[in-house]
Amino acid sequence: MFGQGLLKGLSITWHFFFGKAITEQYPERRPNLPPASHGSFRLDREKCIACGLCASACPNHVITIESERDEQKKRRLTGYRVKFGQCLFCGLCVESCPQDALHWQPDFELACYRYEDTEHDLLAGPAAEVKKGA
Amino acid sequence: MENIFTGIAAYLKGLLVGAPPWRQTLAMGLLYLLGVLAFIFLNAIYLIYLERKVSAYMQQRLGPNRLGPRGLLQSVADAVKLLGKEDIIPRGADKWVFIIAPVIIFIPAVMVYAVIPFGKGMIPVDLNIGVFYFLAVASTTTIAILMGGWGANNKYALLGSMRCVAQMVSYEIPLTFSILGVIMLAGSLQTSQIVAAQEKIWYILLQPVAFLIYFIAATAEVNRAPFDLVEGEQEIIAGPYTEYTGMRYALFYLSEYANLVSVSALAVTLFLGGWHGPWLPSWLWFLIKVYIMIFIFMWVRWTFPRIRIDHLLGFNWKVLLPLSLANILVTGVGIKIYQLLTLGRW
Repeated sequence: MFGQGLLKGLSITWHFFFGKAITEQYPERRPNLPPASHGSFRLDREKCIACGLCASACPNHVITIESERDEQKKRRLTGYRVKFGQCLFCGLCVESCPQDALHWQPDFELACYRYEDTEHDLLAGPAAEVKKGA
Repeated sequence: MENIFTGIAAYLKGLLVGAPPWRQTLAMGLLYLLGVLAFIFLNAIYLIYLERKVSAYMQQRLGPNRLGPRGLLQSVADAVKLLGKEDIIPRGADKWVFIIAPVIIFIPAVMVYAVIPFGKGMIPVDLNIGVFYFLAVASTTTIAILMGGWGANNKYALLGSMRCVAQMVSYEIPLTFSILGVIMLAGSLQTSQIVAAQEKIWYILLQPVAFLIYFIAATAEVNRAPFDLVEGEQEIIAGPYTEYTGMRYALFYLSEYANLVSVSALAVTLFLGGWHGPWLPSWLWFLIKVYIMIFIFMWVRWTFPRIRIDHLLGFNWKVLLPLSLANILVTGVGIKIYQLLTLGRW
């Protein structure tokens, strides 16, 4: 019939009008993100062997790994700095890790006031937590 | 409650007893104008909020909800923001045309309220050609929009105003013809008489096709989606309003909402029984019906996409106009048959 599509459209908006809004009131209500959300990174420092594969996998070269050799000539991690200012959050570092030491973390609130603060040392803990402590 | 407004008017009129008649007329005229202006401003402020809320709910959003309880003060903040904006007159603009266009557009928007029956005995000026006056005054809005678009010296503004002229002039014809059916039934152009004739049965039941035509044509007349080609932000920025800023822009905005209220009020007067209704005071019934009409206008606006300009004009001339003419014919024949059945003569 002529005009049936119009009536269908009207009924859809009518139901939306009385339906529930899907807006999340962000600062008051925190979003419940899935664990694999590309927020920030968490480093399992026991598992990390400081091989540097993540640093070489990074397309923007934002990861700097510092390590030293101990008595048994074994590599030990002393610093894991990530320049979040240039990070793409592509996840190639997470995928390339042979030891499964690098993980995603849903913390996405990485904004800060100074440029220097965009660099984090993941050895000291997840980025968001370090910032809160400071 | 029923007589609250008429009571105030009668009291103020009582204060003027003994004054020369011309002064009484002038004072009462100014009082009515003040009432109408208050009605327009309060409605416009609320309608901006309402439109944003309705559109938000229809798009599963929340809409303004930060300023004041449930965001009610949002439009006040918008008005203050507009007041604080720089008043820009573009270089190369036709200065005087550009400046007076927003003022001129506001005049017919206010003038049409003169013949709207807001309630029992609450009609500012009860003209015997009320509906005709309404249509004649409302049609002058086109000139102001064309002035704004021409004066701005901007191609988008000119395009928008040309579209406005094409659209509003052609949609006026089915609009008028759809109203003609109601006028034939009521036998009067006087809005108070049309309302009085609907005491038993609303004309929307006798003239459903006319109501539909009126609704479509009125949507086009007030330039609302799906007929908002005049503004068409995706194509021509804001049409005739492109170069306007601050309070001048606010005046256009205000008159747009004033027009929305006035076409809704006319629809209520002609088709929905005016202020007739049980229990509640007449002016409240009028307001409720007007807001139902406005909600339908908003509902349509936030449901349908904009249609193309050639489709718009083709729809008008090929569908609406023949349909409205046929409606007049059927109404005339129907009236004659009714007379034959009830009175036994033509």
